[in-house]
Amino acid sequence: MTNTREITLTVNGTEHTIDVEPRQLLVHAIREELDMTGTHIGCDTGNCGACTVLKDGEPIKSCLMFATQADGSELMTVEGMEDLPEARGDLHPLQEGFREEHGLQCGYCTPGMLMSGKALLDENPDPSEEEIREAISGNLCRCTGYQNIVRSIEYAAEELEEVAAADGGTTVASGTDTSSADAPSAFDSEFDCGVENCCGGPTTDRNHDADTGGEHK
Amino acid sequence: MKPAQFEQHEPETVEEAVSLLESLDDRAVLSGGQSMVPMLRFRLAVPETIIDINRIESLDYLEEDDGWLTIGALARHADVEHSELIAEHYGSFADTAPLVADPQIRNRGTVAGAIAQADPKGDWGSVLLAHEGEVVAQGPDGERVIPADEFFLLPYDTTLDENELLTELRVPTPAPREGSAYHKLKRKVGDYAMAGSAARLVLDDEGRIEQAGIGLTAVDITNVRATDAEDHLEGERPSSELFKRAGELAAEQSNPESDEHGDVEYKERMVNVLTQRALGDAAERAGLVKQRVSQ
Repeated sequence: MTNTREITLTVNGTEHTIDVEPRQLLVHAIREELDMTGTHIGCDTGNCGACTVLKDGEPIKSCLMFATQADGSELMTVEGMEDLPEARGDLHPLQEGFREEHGLQCGYCTPGMLMSGKALLDENPDPSEEEIREAISGNLCRCTGYQNIVRSIEYAAEELEEVAAADGGTTVASGTDTSSADAPSAFDSEFDCGVENCCGGPTTDRNHDADTGGEHK
Repeated sequence: MKPAQFEQHEPETVEEAVSLLESLDDRAVLSGGQSMVPMLRFRLAVPETIIDINRIESLDYLEEDDGWLTIGALARHADVEHSELIAEHYGSFADTAPLVADPQIRNRGTVAGAIAQADPKGDWGSVLLAHEGEVVAQGPDGERVIPADEFFLLPYDTTLDENELLTELRVPTPAPREGSAYHKLKRKVGDYAMAGSAARLVLDDEGRIEQAGIGLTAVDITNVRATDAEDHLEGERPSSELFKRAGELAAEQSNPESDEHGDVEYKERMVNVLTQRALGDAAERAGLVKQRVSQ
């Protein structure tokens, strides 16, 4: 480890100062220096988009950029989604969409998909299906065939519209209450996504699911 | 895979970058990095030093200036994609930008970097050729302007000098009756072109083609101009018959290789079709109504 340099990254609102080699890729800095492993390394060649993060609000592939190039930037990773105001202390509407619409199977591409979805909805709160497909065109999913991912993002767009309407009106509190009554219990105990043959198919051991807190594998 | 170790410089001015180029031996310039970083990771490139130009703010522009559309070395594909100026006046650029790779890559990759990379499958080279554009380079002895025609040598090889930094691309601002377009064939979203054709037409007061530019992608060792087709078009009135012949001439002049995407005959046919479509759009954008073109 010769030749390191101090850089400052603001990740999900928290400032981190770390020493990196010039050759260290941003994705490695995020995963290995900051221990935030939500950002995945998929293809390692810039094709798959699993490592997508937002840099100053724009989606980029963090395996195609050196950490030093992000010095002074604001980054957002999947770990930051639940802290956003629209998440209201729970899953972000995008994450909720992926759960409700079964937007994942193995889940490996999901953090990147969420980041691309987030960037899209920030720019365009009411996207067409075509616009959604274009926005996730840099993210590969080998499980779902994309249909459910598109639906998940559509779900989030609608949900975010409702959140915005609720925040703009006088019923903020009741709006918040209603949704938190709907959503969070799924992860409290046994989790059933409601789709047949999900989570490994009919042989899935239900106790195992319960033991792991119903983590949607 | 991680790149080999390297020293890094982050110049903040063009002069600083050029003097680094001059003083350092084994070095590479890093701009958008969307091709360069994979090359470093696969160790296809193992330079001792990287000169990262991303902090040279003076190179980040996309604007019209004194009869030219000028694209600074740090203008990203996404800057072109989202520019109103481009959307209104530069059809071929507006067509091309959203067809380059994918949204994440377009947020980082630069147009000038793609030109300097000189991948024969790159889209921008064809656009630059069709517009008879220029490459501006800064070297130890000052600025040098290289016509697009004289820029590409071989795959990944250009006439840019060792000690020169590509600082700007430029194409003439459109004439009153000018239109341009780009058509690209690719197997799926985000791919490089299997074939592509950029066309630019300038019409005179009587609606005749005063100037024609056609650039082809992925069908020769570099992006190339279809000069036979251009010559055939000039002085004529746009018509689908005329464009058909131009498409044939472009295909004849192209030199594609057979690969997993198709054989030579198929690719030549694609050059023909894509060129006709690009010419059709260019003519329409130059102010003709489509019906007249297809008569």
